[in-house]
Amino acid sequence: MTELVDVVLGGIFHAAVLFLVAAGLQLVFGVQKIVNLACGSFYALGAYFGITAVGIAIKLGMPPVLFFPVLIVAGLAIGLVGLPIERVLRTVYRRDESYQLLITFGFLLMFQDAFRYLWGATPRTMDNVYLAYGTAHFLGVRVPTYNLLVIAASLAIAALLGLFLERTKTGRIVRATAENRDMAEGLGVNASNIFALVFTVGCMLGTVGGALVVPSGAASLDMAVDLVVESFAVVVIGGLGSMRGALVGALIVGLMRASAISLMPELEMLSVYLVVVAVLILRPAGLFGKATA
Amino acid sequence: MIRLNGLWVLFALIAVMALLPLVASPYVLLLMLPFVGYGIALLGFNLLFGTTGLLSFGHALFLGVGAYTAAALTSKFGILSFEIILVAAALISGLVSLVIGMLCVRYTRIFFGMLTLAFGMLFHSFLFKFYAITGGDQGMRVLRPLLLGMEWRGGKTAFLTGPFYYYALMLFALLGLAMWRMTQSPFGLHLRAIRENAGKAAYVGVEIFRMRLSAFVISAVYGGIGGTILAITTGLADPELAYWTHSGNLVFMAVLGGSGTFAGPAIGALAFVVLQDFVMAITQYWRFVMGGVLVLLVIFMPQGLAGTIELLLIRRDGEG
Amino acid sequence: MQPQPATDAMPLLEAISVSKAFGVFKALQDISFSVSDGEFVSIVGPNGAGKTTLVNVVTGLLRPTAGEVRFLGRDIAGIGPVELARLGMSRAFQLVNIFPALTVRETLAVAIASRLRRVSNPFRSLQRDSVMQADAVRVAEVLGLRSKLDKVASKLSQGEKKLLDIASAFALNPAVILLDEPTSGVSTGEKHAIMEVLVTAAKAAGVRAIVQVEHDMDLVERYSHRIVALQAGSLLANMAPDAFFADPAMISAVVGTRPKL
Repeated sequence: MTELVDVVLGGIFHAAVLFLVAAGLQLVFGVQKIVNLACGSFYALGAYFGITAVGIAIKLGMPPVLFFPVLIVAGLAIGLVGLPIERVLRTVYRRDESYQLLITFGFLLMFQDAFRYLWGATPRTMDNVYLAYGTAHFLGVRVPTYNLLVIAASLAIAALLGLFLERTKTGRIVRATAENRDMAEGLGVNASNIFALVFTVGCMLGTVGGALVVPSGAASLDMAVDLVVESFAVVVIGGLGSMRGALVGALIVGLMRASAISLMPELEMLSVYLVVVAVLILRPAGLFGKATA
Repeated sequence: MIRLNGLWVLFALIAVMALLPLVASPYVLLLMLPFVGYGIALLGFNLLFGTTGLLSFGHALFLGVGAYTAAALTSKFGILSFEIILVAAALISGLVSLVIGMLCVRYTRIFFGMLTLAFGMLFHSFLFKFYAITGGDQGMRVLRPLLLGMEWRGGKTAFLTGPFYYYALMLFALLGLAMWRMTQSPFGLHLRAIRENAGKAAYVGVEIFRMRLSAFVISAVYGGIGGTILAITTGLADPELAYWTHSGNLVFMAVLGGSGTFAGPAIGALAFVVLQDFVMAITQYWRFVMGGVLVLLVIFMPQGLAGTIELLLIRRDGEG
Repeated sequence: MQPQPATDAMPLLEAISVSKAFGVFKALQDISFSVSDGEFVSIVGPNGAGKTTLVNVVTGLLRPTAGEVRFLGRDIAGIGPVELARLGMSRAFQLVNIFPALTVRETLAVAIASRLRRVSNPFRSLQRDSVMQADAVRVAEVLGLRSKLDKVASKLSQGEKKLLDIASAFALNPAVILLDEPTSGVSTGEKHAIMEVLVTAAKAAGVRAIVQVEHDMDLVERYSHRIVALQAGSLLANMAPDAFFADPAMISAVVGTRPKL
């Protein structure tokens, strides 16, 4: 029973983080019809910057209990890097999608070396955070409190995002622009600003995800590239353009990986790919997808 | 109107390559061999991308298939004939691409790109994890093959910069000719029609699924052959060959040279290989530079090097 | 094209009690009509009457919920555009539909290559295929595009693009050609010119019947042998123009009253 709860919780923790990145991808795709190959780079950026931020917090003598909010703030702050990136991206909005994929691939390459320069080539870890939050009793099992915090944070962000899109005026404008850019512009919406907003929020979701996940593992150069594949799997399974799909897809991928790790580690990513192929054969649009592109 | 016959441009390039051993050092020649491998793979890639309009982010998978076929045949089964290796690589790539293609080709554009990326990574995962079969992260050795049944008894560099170099160039020329014929045929025309307007194409009788799948399989065969050349050059089949960023590099090369022209991608391969070598020599942050080049390329020169030259020539001709 | 009496031979295209529903929405209800050799049939009706749906069913793009569609005696429900082209029916669309980067010659060659089934050998030369080249010239000639053969499609004028679209439908040597508002987006002066070209070309190309969806009632009156009028998914009329235009109720149902000039 202990193992089951451990595996499931580990899977949900991973899913919580994956969801943030996938939600960012879906948001950007839904509104701007761009697939950001550099999404993993933002994830890694959040992770690296999170480590730096906590390092600074330690130097400033902050109590460890504050590390969690520090990570969230750090994640949000560094997500602003998305703004200048979006400015460059603007030059290719009206062009064929292949060019957008290529330009974000170019960013990915640039980010890789930027990480190397700023943080070095060896993976960086953050050891004190899990200790700071200890463990809690959950369903009769001892689980790391930090994991619970992250899951809660992810759910909160999901809820906030949902509220923003459904209930606020800006959110409605965003959805309208997603539906039909030209018409929205005709109604006086400044699409450029909306695009900048959406892209940056999408990046922030990625950076926060990275910042939150880094205590459980390490920040490494491989993170950026590996994550692209995983988040794509989430999007294919859940369906392109759907937030609910991002949630369900992330859960499926997270749980599959967690169970594979405990049962047969070689199959870890393979199991995810097999689910992707199965979804493609049985339900090509994804579980909640709209149309096949 | 001058129409640069793409095939002649390619042949001219190959001719220059053939004369290179007279003036260039072995180092340069060794650098050129991957260019030939990539050039062949890109001929295939561009049939899919430039001609049919399908952007694959998993094409390096077939480079990997070719490489590992060469490795398995030479080091595990003791088959050293290069001709047999080529045929095997072509067949296996073709079969694998048939299966993958049937799943992926129904989708277009971004979805196709994502799917091919996923399949490429699936293959990478398999190569990486199944140590017993594939050698895992250490890869599999590729032994020196026999060319036309003849064994080279000298050193490795002499082999690679001598007989293998010319063999590879001949192969490049032959495969280039075949690809040219394909793009100039009604088959090629149907592919272009699909790229231009798939909906209308169906209405004038173009069998979209079958055509796309054919293009996919042909491009895979070329990729497999290119992969064997890469593997024989390095002497190793490595899982990283199938990593998706390697596929990204292929796309980079195609766009750098100009995916709208026949010889463009080959020119792109050359430019990429030379540029990367140059940049690597001056800074360890070569990825940053290459990434920057790609971004600038997409913004300012999306038609690539060959495309730009073609545009300049057309403008000079005063074509209206 | 002189009006000809319908022959007793088997009709080329038949819709037999065709109905089409999308969920609860009944787009078409029990429509029957046929097209025979030598006929020019116009499908008319107000927007939303179901013309597009009918055309999609009758060209095998949609399966009817009830009823049959037969072309040259064969059931063609849901066969799709490629099979349709192969059987001998082709279709041109309302919105200009071209291959932007291909020349006129190449555009026609796409259709000809499908028709002659010359796509299986990928090493065949297009340029050296004299049959295909001659055919492309022939079709271009018949539609007045001969001088534009080597012009890239995106650089043609709007009217020329329309003609090209229709020409590619002709290049399939169809027995029946279906035109979706062939003169839409074209200035009134040019409309008649295009219709004349069309009808002459059809005859020269051996097309046996033409079906069009058209809003311009002048053109409909002048060129059709028969008018099929739809209203809210049902068949309102299936009769010769004389009978149709003699009945003011018919006209107002389709277009509203004609202004007295």
